[in-house]
Amino acid sequence: MTDPTRHGPLDDAQGLAFGVTMAAFGMHILAHMGFVTGQTVGLAVLLTHVTGLPFPAVYFAVTLPFLALGWYRLGARFALKTLFTTAALSLMVALLPRWVDLGRMEPAFAAILFGLMFGIAALAAIRHGGSFGGLSILWIELQDRTGFRAGTAQLLSDVVIFGLAALIVPLDTLAYSFLGAAVFSLFLAINHRRDRYVAV
Amino acid sequence: MIDPAKHNLIEDAQGIAYGATMAAFGIVILTHLGLVTGQTAGLAVLIAYATGWSFGPVFFAINIPFYVLAYVRMGAAFTMKTFLAVALLSGLSLWLPGQISFAALNPWVGAILFGFLSGSALLALFRHGASLGGIGIVALMLQDRLGWRAGWVQLAFDVVLFAVAFAVIEARLVIISFVGALVVNLVIAINHRRDRYVVT
Repeated sequence: MTDPTRHGPLDDAQGLAFGVTMAAFGMHILAHMGFVTGQTVGLAVLLTHVTGLPFPAVYFAVTLPFLALGWYRLGARFALKTLFTTAALSLMVALLPRWVDLGRMEPAFAAILFGLMFGIAALAAIRHGGSFGGLSILWIELQDRTGFRAGTAQLLSDVVIFGLAALIVPLDTLAYSFLGAAVFSLFLAINHRRDRYVAV
Repeated sequence: MIDPAKHNLIEDAQGIAYGATMAAFGIVILTHLGLVTGQTAGLAVLIAYATGWSFGPVFFAINIPFYVLAYVRMGAAFTMKTFLAVALLSGLSLWLPGQISFAALNPWVGAILFGFLSGSALLALFRHGASLGGIGIVALMLQDRLGWRAGWVQLAFDVVLFAVAFAVIEARLVIISFVGALVVNLVIAINHRRDRYVVT
């Protein structure tokens, strides 16, 4: 009999396809509004603002070193799934504006929508063993080496990213971005529970 | 001790808020493109197109008779949560067009985005003990009373809806709508599993 707590290839493929599509849609909204955010994606958004290079290329380049670290730390399976999701997200973010041309959006609602879309995308990716990230792998490694708590490092890195963003985006944009990031974090904090969604 | 296998009030509230918001965003995309869908929402969309009324009030009105059945079959909590989800979706679908707009949207991509948004919305509502109303409950009653299989009744209802849709919208749009409805149903068929998401 098939073990219900193990995802098959089709389960994972549709979960990651869903996650990538929702993340790309969220990213499209974020870019349209000129918002910033935290984590690996936030770092890539900042670099995009500073360098003027296209976001998909910057994002993919930023994730590569973490991918190597992820391979070493969490194994080939996790690294390959992450490579698949980050490559697919880069591609989708590049393609989506061709098909979806956003019009006028109220910034507060756009921020909430971005938070929900990134939240559900991250939830789906995590439940199906992928990730959009990188930065957090670095903080886990740091915790193992030095004992410095990964959660604290994660929070501090977001403070730094938002601090740098304050130098380049207007204050109201920063406030809306913060609202989106808060929705995203809260959504993940409430819903990401291994004791409830038990399949891996 | 708090039972991890039960959602608390805040968890259910955010799940229902997520479901109603994503479903409303899905309806904005669907109606922007002039597409249709299945089940109770599909009936409301068709009536809205045929009469020129807004989706929100029509959807809210159609669902009213079903709450009695829901109360008898599924209990007070399910009925109350479903009422809240339907009311929230109805209200949001009126409010959202002032919040977001599309300059242009590819109908095929729009249909897939609608499928993902509504699929994950329904999944969240089901997992938090709610629904978006009507036809499904009637199908369950018919199975009990007359022995008709609920799944077939729902399918037959959708076949009739899509057949009528050919009279209301262009044939090309009906076919694109079918892709969207297929994505919704695939998302639910693959992911709605009580053996994986174990909480009620």
